[in-house]
Amino acid sequence: MSALVKVVQNRWRRAFTGSKRGRSLFVAGALTPLMLYMLFWTLLPMVWAVVLVFFEYSATRRGGAILGLGGDNPFVGLGHFKNMLSDSLEAQKFRTSLKNTLIFAFLVLPLNLVITVPLAVAIEAVHERLKAVFRFIYFLPTLTATVGVATMWGYLYHPQQGLFNMILKALGATPKAWLTDPRAFMSSVSLAMWAIIFAYLWQDMGYNLVIFIAALQGIPREFREAAVVDGASVWQIFWRVTLPLLQPTLLFICVMTMLSSFQVFDIIQIMTDGGPQDQTRVMVLDIYLNAFRFQRMGWAGAVSMALFLIVLVVTIIQMRLLRTQWEY
Amino acid sequence: MATITHASPARRAPDRAVVRHRMGRVLLYALLVSGCLATLVPFVWMVLGSFKSSREIIRIPPTLWPENPTLASYQTILNDPKLPLGRFYLNSFIVAGSQVLMILFTSSLAGFVFAKYRFFGKSALFGFILATMMIPAQVTMIPGYLMLARLGLIDSLWGLIVPSAVDAFGIFLMKQFIEGLPSELLDAARIDGASEWGIYWRIILAQIGPALATLGILSFMGSWNSYLWPLIVITTHERRTLPILLTWYTSVHGSRTDLEMAAGVLVVLPILFVYTFLQRWIVQGIALTGFK
Repeated sequence: MSALVKVVQNRWRRAFTGSKRGRSLFVAGALTPLMLYMLFWTLLPMVWAVVLVFFEYSATRRGGAILGLGGDNPFVGLGHFKNMLSDSLEAQKFRTSLKNTLIFAFLVLPLNLVITVPLAVAIEAVHERLKAVFRFIYFLPTLTATVGVATMWGYLYHPQQGLFNMILKALGATPKAWLTDPRAFMSSVSLAMWAIIFAYLWQDMGYNLVIFIAALQGIPREFREAAVVDGASVWQIFWRVTLPLLQPTLLFICVMTMLSSFQVFDIIQIMTDGGPQDQTRVMVLDIYLNAFRFQRMGWAGAVSMALFLIVLVVTIIQMRLLRTQWEY
Repeated sequence: MATITHASPARRAPDRAVVRHRMGRVLLYALLVSGCLATLVPFVWMVLGSFKSSREIIRIPPTLWPENPTLASYQTILNDPKLPLGRFYLNSFIVAGSQVLMILFTSSLAGFVFAKYRFFGKSALFGFILATMMIPAQVTMIPGYLMLARLGLIDSLWGLIVPSAVDAFGIFLMKQFIEGLPSELLDAARIDGASEWGIYWRIILAQIGPALATLGILSFMGSWNSYLWPLIVITTHERRTLPILLTWYTSVHGSRTDLEMAAGVLVVLPILFVYTFLQRWIVQGIALTGFK
């Protein structure tokens, strides 16, 4: 018996050793299970998600034989997408959440860049030891679980117990219901949305900061030194030397920041759950509520597909815009 | 002063430059330090809140500094029979730990194959893997849930671990890293009679320590902090992970800010503690990969 095992073992080993056949066996043996796994957990859900869009589906109904589609979960064709343009309640909620998502993403991106780019340049300019300290502190919020961030900021914004209202009162101003007042607006964006945006920025900044610092370290010193020799001011160096050299990083950061802010969910679900009066209801929250609270998975799937398309289009546009700028 | 500088124009220019430089430095540090303080405010406010008594925290106007610092809120949380905190730490740890191990194994293996072998359909397969990175999690979330339901993995920690055992980004990262290793290393091992698997296990894994550390830490943090997926999948209290626990706790004891803050500290602390030790790896990892 053991002799047989040995023979098999030897065969096996020879098959895997050196020979071309051994290599292709290894490749096939290693990749096949992994690829099947990916097909199962990534491609199958993707296809399923596309199919789901054409049905009025709920997991609570039994439906037809294949994936529970058909029967009680009827085929509706492009009905969900037509519905998005209608006056139905869910369509209004969808459009509100789309609008809020756009407001959120297009405010977060510039605010983030305006803070992180100069901050990275400043940190890069200080002494090596201190640089590490600053980077350490500025990066803390990024590592904090979003639930933690929401808890902290919920307390800062607390109408009676919060620090912000305490400061406002000390300054003689009227305290605000930061997260709950539906009639409070700043530059026609609701106060609750601003409040969320600031908490989000606080958490998200460190991530971009670290990438910018790394990119700045990649710029050869000679460039800036040459500019100094030519008599350029700090300001000129920033605009004419540093920023242009950061272009590729900027493109990357813009795309990534946009992508993640289009998908914002945790912080909003915890801090406001979309309120007040849906003023902070964003698309992922809309998807979550429809799919898992109201069991309207077909509709939620259609909304998620819309989100996917928007994200794709915005990404492509950004790439085009920023890439043409590189050329010269 | 003005006359002196006026009298020696030769010295004036450098002096002013030095002064301006010094002023710039001071301003720079002042800005950076105040930025740091502002960054720390939410943490400090939470910690201060956690030390206030349940009566002090609702006082109007609120106190800045806890007048009678107390550990009562921590005691309440740690002694709450409905809240076996150790259980939730363990859940989070099981999920994050097993996810990391699986991701490290699958990513390094696939990365090795894609980096060092030539085979039919390689670029198409790799393209497929990269393409899956473009799919937002929200799109596959609903079918993913339905699949777990069919497999009977809803409300189990397996449901959190299994779907993310293979990570496209991890494969990409490992491929990039392993491509940089000299191929002569592999050939030498083959001449010595090593099997392909042996090359992966003994040589490649030994060479990619830094990349494994980076990927491992990033995956661990991602899993430890993840919120939406556990929120959907887990329905039984005992199986919740830490982040879900915190919101559940808030919804149950909504009005008890002191308890909320103590719970917040307990949830946030471990990761920050880990960060102080692994700072270099984490920062390097993000700077290198550009991914959260």
